[in-house]
Amino acid sequence: MEMLNFILAGTIEPGDFTGFTFFIGSVSMLAATVWFLMQHGQVDKKFKDSMLVAALITGIAAVHYFYMREQWVAGLGSPTELRYIDWILTVPLMVVEFALLTGVGMRKLFWLSVVMLVTGYFGESGVTGVGNAAIWGGVSGAAYFWMAYEVGCLSLFGGPSGAVGNALTGGSGKIPEAGRMLQWFVLVGWAIYPLGYMAGTDGWYNFVAIDEGAMNIIYNVGDAINKIGFGMAVWYAAK
Amino acid sequence: MNVIVKSKLAGLILAFSIIFFGLESSYSILLFLFIMLSIGIPHGSVDHIIAFINPKARKFESKLTFYVVYLSLIVFNIILWVISPFLGLLVFLIVSCYHFGETQVIGYNPTENKTLNFVIGANILLSLFLNNIIELQEILYILPQFASLDLSGFDSVLYLLISVAILMLSIVNFEIKRKVPLYAEITILYMVFFHTDLLTSFALYFGFCHSLPMLMLEFKEFKTDSFIKFYLKTLPFTILSIIFGFLLYQFNNDLLTSDNLILFVFIIISSLTLPHVFIMKDFVKDK
Repeated sequence: MEMLNFILAGTIEPGDFTGFTFFIGSVSMLAATVWFLMQHGQVDKKFKDSMLVAALITGIAAVHYFYMREQWVAGLGSPTELRYIDWILTVPLMVVEFALLTGVGMRKLFWLSVVMLVTGYFGESGVTGVGNAAIWGGVSGAAYFWMAYEVGCLSLFGGPSGAVGNALTGGSGKIPEAGRMLQWFVLVGWAIYPLGYMAGTDGWYNFVAIDEGAMNIIYNVGDAINKIGFGMAVWYAAK
Repeated sequence: MNVIVKSKLAGLILAFSIIFFGLESSYSILLFLFIMLSIGIPHGSVDHIIAFINPKARKFESKLTFYVVYLSLIVFNIILWVISPFLGLLVFLIVSCYHFGETQVIGYNPTENKTLNFVIGANILLSLFLNNIIELQEILYILPQFASLDLSGFDSVLYLLISVAILMLSIVNFEIKRKVPLYAEITILYMVFFHTDLLTSFALYFGFCHSLPMLMLEFKEFKTDSFIKFYLKTLPFTILSIIFGFLLYQFNNDLLTSDNLILFVFIIISSLTLPHVFIMKDFVKDK
């Protein structure tokens, strides 16, 4: 891909609130990375991998947010491609945090995240020429909901839970409490991704359509909360 | 922090510097040559000593036997490239997949699982190639079926997605002691592969995830007082390798090099890699 140089990027125009959220996204991710790396040395040995993964998630996101900010500021439109690159790399790492905390479910969560990402990308890009965005989005959404079930999101309301959710509930120390935070992130925070998908593609859900700038603001704020919050929940369990 | 982590961290800092500040693609060849000459080739330049000081090494009757076998493998590889570039490439890929994977799993899993070593190496090379596939097509003009494929309809995100999906499936289907850190490290590599061109990607990976960690392990094995003294020991065969490459370039035939310097450099690397892999296989047994 073409090299960008965000150090020399243009400045955000006054009133460009979307550009500002890209900026906030990039610096907050960078700050969170430094914070998680600093905490890596402070936590118990069994949580060190979790803290490192948390730092990697925000670190990768920081790199891509710097790129996205530059693309936006340069007037090159919505950085959908960069966003997908970021998600492809970071979503599996977020899923992995559950496996690190509980020691179970990695295989199933990895499979589900593969299905969620691949079908989501197929739907948004139309690269296969088969089916339409609504069908691919449906499959991607089903994988997301299955994942939400697996990690115990339904148990927040007294519903059933998969193996990972049960392991979180039965965990020692602060793991159950941190687990509940993570479950809320998956249930509420991750819901912005299907919403963004519906806003950006054609289907029975066209009433969700919003303009490009607003969609990016939702993604940026949601991404920052999810990624940093995810790491903070893990740190809470680890400290 | 052990030497392997330190080496990889150095590479990561360089990679981030390149990604952040941008490196014009015209400088890639310089970066590639610098890393190959300063780290890449030297890490294989002490094979003739490693083969005799490593207690787990296969036994050679004498130094002469060692050199005959070692050099024969290099010559065999060059002949293979000349006779059939396809076969030459195939052998290089198979050998490299195993060798790169073997080094990559050190610190995450014992190196005894040969299938895992191969699969991890294959994943890394697959991602390196997929994420720079258009450049690869230009370099591999010797494979017309591949070079003439029209890949313009697929965007780069798809290739990244394919490589990450295959990596996830590989990681979950093998018994690995430290699955998550291994997956996380390779994820970072994939990001670097995506954002940098083929030569830079290969140089960063080969230099800092493969060669430098091995060079540091070799340094420990040598028990030399200082790294400088150890590094000086790598110089004779590094210089010989450069002369060998230079001579081969001067006396090349059209099939071997044509006007494709990058392919030529890869042929040299593959020729030096083939015998090196067998020495390293013994060296990393207990790592």
